Amino acid sequence: MLEIRSARKVFYAGQPDEKVALDNLDLTLQTGEFGVVIGSNGAGKSTMLNAVSGALPLDSGQIAINGDDVTDTPVHKRAKRIARVFQDPMLGTAASMTVAENMLLADLRSTDRTLARGLNAKRLADYKDRLAALGLGLENRLDTKVELLSGGQRQSLSLIMAVGGSPDLLLLDEHTAALDPRTADLVMQATVRAVDTFKLTTLMVTHNMAHAVDYGHRVIMLDAGRVKLEIGGDEKANVTVAKLVDHFAVKTDAMMLGAGA
Amino acid sequence: MMEFISSTFTSYVALVPVTLSQSFILAFVVMGIMIPFRTLQFPDLTSEGAYPLGGCVCGVLIAAGVNPALAIVAALACGFLAGCCTALIHLRFRIHTLLAGILMMTMLYSINLRIMGKSNLSIFGSDTVYNWAPFVTPGFPVSKIIIAGLIGAGVFLALNWFFKTEKGTALRAVGSNPAMAEAQGISVWVSTIIGVGLASGFSATSGALMVQAQGFADVNMGLGILINGLAALMIGEAVVGKQSVWRQLLAPFVGAIIYYQLVSLCLAAGMPPPDLKLATGLFVLAMLALPSLKRGRGAGGTPAREKFRE
Repeated sequence: MLEIRSARKVFYAGQPDEKVALDNLDLTLQTGEFGVVIGSNGAGKSTMLNAVSGALPLDSGQIAINGDDVTDTPVHKRAKRIARVFQDPMLGTAASMTVAENMLLADLRSTDRTLARGLNAKRLADYKDRLAALGLGLENRLDTKVELLSGGQRQSLSLIMAVGGSPDLLLLDEHTAALDPRTADLVMQATVRAVDTFKLTTLMVTHNMAHAVDYGHRVIMLDAGRVKLEIGGDEKANVTVAKLVDHFAVKTDAMMLGAGA
Repeated sequence: MMEFISSTFTSYVALVPVTLSQSFILAFVVMGIMIPFRTLQFPDLTSEGAYPLGGCVCGVLIAAGVNPALAIVAALACGFLAGCCTALIHLRFRIHTLLAGILMMTMLYSINLRIMGKSNLSIFGSDTVYNWAPFVTPGFPVSKIIIAGLIGAGVFLALNWFFKTEKGTALRAVGSNPAMAEAQGISVWVSTIIGVGLASGFSATSGALMVQAQGFADVNMGLGILINGLAALMIGEAVVGKQSVWRQLLAPFVGAIIYYQLVSLCLAAGMPPPDLKLATGLFVLAMLALPSLKRGRGAGGTPAREKFRE
């Protein structure tokens, strides 16, 4: 379970270009719930995700995971419970290391690293299995350096790395936005499969309204650093792209187009 | 002409045992440069101060009658601390790694002088680790090759093992992508401090071995060692490559051997020693400039300001 309680974050406080990124934001995500966050640029989506992951300290407010307050826990300690897939495929993987080594790093996310050999036969076999599920042939490229993979392959690898070990919370930061439509679809399908299989508590930020409509249990719309609208349950099942876009303060055709509606 | 070649060759061959022993000793500085530059993406200049630091610590301890092996361990520990300081200066105060290294090496100059109390110290005739070499008469260059070579082989095997362990893989991840490493639960601070510390420890070890080999310590012994080391590293990488962990670890040793043989060849051919630094500097510059020269200038060439090559 994720709880964000009256989270506040102000950039450039006291300066002319002061910007309230999070305005006493409250948000609760039940265990096993898949929340989809939408909102226009500058609504505070990224700030919220960064605050949850620990990359950005809050000015005030609390963040709790499964009831434990993690507000003052640094990123690398929070990583024991949180996995994250970034928008930029370059950010989520170590480019100069091999596919297997990247899998190993993610594998050890929530454990203490020892002086034992990292890539043993048992682990390699396990990574092969897990990567085979993607159907991209990555299982045969365990010794390939990640920098030689395409953006889609890297992002798929990031996803497999993130969902391994069933994290308490999975953060998806527009993780299909930088991919071509076909690959984006593939990564999204893999995401949904993993989230369903492992019953992961998931927070996904997206600009793709079709994804917001099709996936997840609840849509959360942010505006000016607070939750403007939440759609869950039956209402979520019946929502359409057009209805969602109606709620944006500024409507753009790009949103409709991006949704493929 | 023939006479020049033959005399050059004769004096070069006569120098081989000495330069080879030098290569094995200085390979540790090259290792101390390689780890921050390549493994951690933390371009670091501390070695220029850590190398004489190791020399001064070792010199003072040996002059005081301390066991020479223990003196090397003490030098390593001091170098480790110096490296930790550089890493901390960068991490805590957000100072560029190169500037942090320059600060550290400048401060180390005074510290080195304080440690020795004077600018140089002779330990000639004292017991050194080279006297322990098996099968050879102490004092010959071969004993230095054997001892430095054995330590070098040990360091190579140890690092090759370490970088493949869970902890070692994590350390390499910090160099490859710090943000990702952090998101995978790896402390960037701890890894950087230990990694840079270890590297400076190797530089200091090199200084300690050199002091025992040459019989004296000097505060100025580190002058230009960084560029020599970089040149050696680049040669090594050009020869053995850097695609895998063991290749990258072997590069400093191979590079150090080839580099000092080249230097010896130049000197044997009559190049005045004062020109050596200019030649080495030009060589490093050429190696760095090569990719950009190949790409060409003008259309589609270099942007106004590119990311630094380090």
